[in-house]
Amino acid sequence: MSDALRTTQVGSLPKPDYLLRARSELARGQITREALRELERRATREWVEFQNEIGIDVVVDGEQYRGDMVAFFAEELEGFSRGGLVRSYGNRYYRKPIITGPIRRTHPITVEWWGYARSLTDRPVKGMLTGPYTIRDWSFDEHYDTRRDAVLALAEVIRDEAVALQEAGAEYIQIDEPAVSTRMDELDLAIEALGVVTEPLTVHTVTHICYGDFHNAYPRMLDLPVDQIDLELTNSRFDLLDRFAEHPFTKSIGLGVVDVHSHRIETVDEVVKAIERTLEVIPPDRVFVDPDCGLKTRSVEEAKDKLRVVVEGARRVRERLS
Amino acid sequence: MAARVTVVGSYPKPPHEGGEFALRRTLHALDRGDASIVDVRAAQDDLVRGVIAEQVEAGVELVTDGQARWDDPQTRFAEGLEGFGTTGLLRYFDTNTYFRQPVVKAPVARRGHIVLDEFLFARDHSAVPVKQTLIGPSTLAALSVDEQYGDRGALVSDLAVALNEEARDLAEAGCEVIAFDEPALARIPGSPPGDLGVLGDVADRLTEGVGATTVLQTFFGDVAEHGPAFFDLPFDGFGVDLVAGPGNLEAIQGFPGDRILQAGIVDARNTRLEDPEALAREIERLAAVVDPERLWVSPSAGLEYLPREAAQRKCALLADAARRFRGGR
Repeated sequence: MSDALRTTQVGSLPKPDYLLRARSELARGQITREALRELERRATREWVEFQNEIGIDVVVDGEQYRGDMVAFFAEELEGFSRGGLVRSYGNRYYRKPIITGPIRRTHPITVEWWGYARSLTDRPVKGMLTGPYTIRDWSFDEHYDTRRDAVLALAEVIRDEAVALQEAGAEYIQIDEPAVSTRMDELDLAIEALGVVTEPLTVHTVTHICYGDFHNAYPRMLDLPVDQIDLELTNSRFDLLDRFAEHPFTKSIGLGVVDVHSHRIETVDEVVKAIERTLEVIPPDRVFVDPDCGLKTRSVEEAKDKLRVVVEGARRVRERLS
Repeated sequence: MAARVTVVGSYPKPPHEGGEFALRRTLHALDRGDASIVDVRAAQDDLVRGVIAEQVEAGVELVTDGQARWDDPQTRFAEGLEGFGTTGLLRYFDTNTYFRQPVVKAPVARRGHIVLDEFLFARDHSAVPVKQTLIGPSTLAALSVDEQYGDRGALVSDLAVALNEEARDLAEAGCEVIAFDEPALARIPGSPPGDLGVLGDVADRLTEGVGATTVLQTFFGDVAEHGPAFFDLPFDGFGVDLVAGPGNLEAIQGFPGDRILQAGIVDARNTRLEDPEALAREIERLAAVVDPERLWVSPSAGLEYLPREAAQRKCALLADAARRFRGGR
């Protein structure tokens, strides 16, 4: 694999209808957890096969077994209780977990799914974790005295999971921190916590942040202790590229080139243009091309179409480069 | 009434655990073309009746309709006013709630009533007075992309004129309390503090001729850095968040004797329940700063950041604290 303009994904992919149906059936007690798991494996397999087929360079498992990026970890960790529904956007809601006791990791959380996806492809599969700052920020806390205490407790358990992924053979590990851009006055805490997670890691590390005040966060976000930062540049209309011209982006970038909240499928030309604009300020071996964010809110067909456009756009620019 | 119990504005839309989420289901059905806007309105009506009854039962003495018909304040008012379009998603201050950012594309004006009908419905279904929330002009301007004016002051001024028209109509229809939500004026972690001057220039225009109690409502942070000028603005009352804005306790020392202070003393953003006795003592301390008849108590912000059960518990807790305070006098 050439290192120029590697294509990848932010993490989540939409669940096919049969899996959505099965999840509600489980909630109503109509099927067993084992039956659901079989369908989650089927959906994972289909998504990995699709990525193989279109030629995504760094594959993800698609998170077919996760409901929500924070609630999933909260359910697997000790110290959390299930919370009620809270609105996130428009008519969308999520279960916001509640920290009710000391947080502990009692078993590996994502390693088995990572291994399953890896068994289905020759390409590297990215390990996908949610970062400590985001898990705390998107939970209620009835236990810890301060936000800092909770964030640092979470950093230790996410570090243990990251190390387990590395030991299992993951070459890329992404620790999503979409909440990092929320409060600039806590950026140092987020950096410290992410440092706890990535300190023992020798593989390529990534973080994804989104929907925030990037202009205030830049260039300080370059202090995040990872090799690559993934940004939703399409949603923010590529404003940040101008900042990169003034103050060089010193890491690898995950370049979001398709909007994950619109039904419209971008054209290959739009993707090509976005990549070419970026190459004016960041060299191709440090550019990973991907959608803005997880695609789970799109339909399966929309997600596939958007991913095809991402891959085709990157391929065209690669051809011109070689 | 000493330490009148009220809320800030929003209330959770999801049902109590195990209940059916009819509004969400109906909105999804609308997206698929399987339901009509009439069905959505019926689901909203049910929800409004429910959240009002629930607040009253918990002991809230001045309720809202929970903003049950809105996605969020920005979207509601950008859609209700002339001159707006929308663009990408933006996080609402330091919450995990997002909205499509409004874009000002043409001069802003009111084309007709925005929330008057919602108020009338709520009033007709409430056993206690109903407060109506309007977004404040400086917050709507701060959260929008301006492609039209190129001058924050000019945009805020036109917004103030439009919102004043709505406020006047509400007051004429019998609305006793109108809150202008202006979180952008507070120092909120991660956001630059709002410019008081811009609102100061239009505040008279915003409130003039409005025959109701007007409240300038802030939350998520403190307003201390604006100094005493903040409480000199021409509103009848001021809402401050004493949970997320610890500086506000200092800011309200010397609070003007002719205004209402709405003190946000229960954390609207965490499920951890406060001790009612400690809250009663806090009200006691506030009563030393402002005449208890002019002191209102509320959660620190809109309650929609909590699950439904927790929101109701927080309301009951507040009412409990107010009763203890009154009983102790």
